[in-house]
Amino acid sequence: MKRFANLLRKEIKELATKQLVVSLVFTVVLFNFIGQVSKKEVQKAVGIQTISALDQDGTPASQALIKGLESARFKVLDQSGKAKEQALETARAGESKLLLVIPKGFGDSLRELKPSEIETYSFMRSFSLIGARGQVVVQGVIAALNEAVSNDFLKEKLPGLDPAGLKKPIRSRDFVVVRDRVAEGSANMVAGLISQQSMLIPIVLMMIVIYSSQMVISAVALEKQNKTLETLLTVPIKRTSIITAKMLAAGLVGLISAGVYMFGFQGFVGGIGEEAARAGAQDGGAALMQKLGLTFSTGGYAILGLSIFLAILVALAAAMILGVLAEDLRSAQSMMMPLMFMVMIPYFISLFADLNTMSLPLKVFVLAIPFTHPFLVSQNLYLGNYGLIAAGLGYMLLVFAVLVVYAAKIFSTDKILTMKLRFGKKKAAVA
Amino acid sequence: MPNVLTVRGLKKSYGAQHALAGIDFDVRAGEVFALIGPNGAGKTTTLRIAATLLTSTAGQITFLDHDLCREPDFVREKISYLPEEAGAYKDMKGLDYLHFMANFYARTPEEEKEFVDRAVAITELGDRLATKVGTYSKGMTRKLLLARALMTKPVLAILDEPTSGLDVLNALEVREIVRRYVKEGTSVLLSSHNMLEIEFLSDRVGLINKGLILDTGTPAELKEKHAAKNLEEVFRSSLR
Repeated sequence: MKRFANLLRKEIKELATKQLVVSLVFTVVLFNFIGQVSKKEVQKAVGIQTISALDQDGTPASQALIKGLESARFKVLDQSGKAKEQALETARAGESKLLLVIPKGFGDSLRELKPSEIETYSFMRSFSLIGARGQVVVQGVIAALNEAVSNDFLKEKLPGLDPAGLKKPIRSRDFVVVRDRVAEGSANMVAGLISQQSMLIPIVLMMIVIYSSQMVISAVALEKQNKTLETLLTVPIKRTSIITAKMLAAGLVGLISAGVYMFGFQGFVGGIGEEAARAGAQDGGAALMQKLGLTFSTGGYAILGLSIFLAILVALAAAMILGVLAEDLRSAQSMMMPLMFMVMIPYFISLFADLNTMSLPLKVFVLAIPFTHPFLVSQNLYLGNYGLIAAGLGYMLLVFAVLVVYAAKIFSTDKILTMKLRFGKKKAAVA
Repeated sequence: MPNVLTVRGLKKSYGAQHALAGIDFDVRAGEVFALIGPNGAGKTTTLRIAATLLTSTAGQITFLDHDLCREPDFVREKISYLPEEAGAYKDMKGLDYLHFMANFYARTPEEEKEFVDRAVAITELGDRLATKVGTYSKGMTRKLLLARALMTKPVLAILDEPTSGLDVLNALEVREIVRRYVKEGTSVLLSSHNMLEIEFLSDRVGLINKGLILDTGTPAELKEKHAAKNLEEVFRSSLR
């Protein structure tokens, strides 16, 4: 145990370098900075916005439209009395995001129940999505006015009837069924909320797997590059302890690195996503998810954690073998590629495809990648597919066991010194 | 003198390539046994098998009557190996490296201190031990590694080209250190290209070529047998 602790200490010290600490601090600071800047921009976009209005009509109807905009948190700069070109120039030179032109005859047309036109000029001073939000809100206000005007018309022409019922004679009440639970709501909303809830899982997994694997591969490759491996292999410590110490150190440092990275990432996402999350909660999304049982219990979190933990172990064991194949630190970088692909494939599939609709050979291929299973855990937990979860966990455990046994075999035989991946050469180099 | 290491019919193959074709030799207690031969003769392979790094394809190799293949853990407790192109952890300070290595062998903190003190004396690096190994010259690194190999007073020190790449003065110092430790009871199995070095250091010599031991004996015996002035002539004569 003393020898193992000695080696573990050295491995951790070797991995937790000043460069790593500096790069992590830099990442957190950078993400937080971007997050704060984005947050301010979002606040600006959803806060009071300045628009200009040129009311050429001057009727109660046009004034009602401008009042409606003011009550929708717009600061309206009145351009009345100016020619359209003049108003456009003034608005463009100022801070206005948009110029609204209400032409003469707007009120009369409304009164006569003829279609009325208004013009909007959006000033695109940047091309961000947030920058174009002003026009969306104006369109919303106009839609609300359209609704009110058409309701008035219908009430006048068909008194005693509900205008809403006339405009939409068929209404649907949407229900979502998950297993044995039924709740009123839209399937789109549920899908959106679930993807929002589990968005962090694949990112966390990817970060940890990539960080930890890179560390293990580098740890072994560095021993080769510095010509310290042979000496280490002749000191009185079990070869399995060497593997365990390297994996444990990489796992610990990788976990901490990924944790710090995620903390920074949360600062970044928090800046943009807070408003959206607030809106989701207001729409009753949380209650709907609760009703459908689409929330994680403590046990669910434990299963998810176990699945991610097993995926990390698989990655570490695979990285240990890949590290042996590397000749030096430079070739270690290219050894990361197979692992990166194995994590990226299920990640992109979880984003863009549905495993259930895939053809059987493709499905088998995807399920054979051990890192696919943590991506499926949350979905299977929601749907109560505990058999699939257990099979996934068992499969990852099996892959880990096979890889560890193989890694141990490599370390306890000549392979540790003779195994090399040399493209274009048939035989491994020997002493 | 009892044997520390006994090698009988040792073979090592990598597929169709035979690195060792069945060699026999002994390393006796308190002696320096040297393997000399050209590149690719099988010297490093023999040393790596003796150091438990490689396994043999056939034959037997015993260390203090323990089968080396079956009991590598026992052997590793009592030997030390200095590879030809060995390095140390560049980001570690010299002293930290010695403590790190001593920790694997020492049973108590006192013993660890004893090992490290001994290594510090061998290196003669003084204050430089407080700096990172990455800043050392080749000679300094080699002395640090030799000190690491000898600090535990191993039963058998296996040294592959111990003075490889060193200048004359550093090489001389290394040879003197090795001789000193042999006097204190450590047996040495070494390999070298340098015949002069072998004559100065070795009690007995094994001439190896193409995976076979051509001859063994003391430098004096071999010179007499081959009517040669030095070991280089002995080697040429034994090839004929």
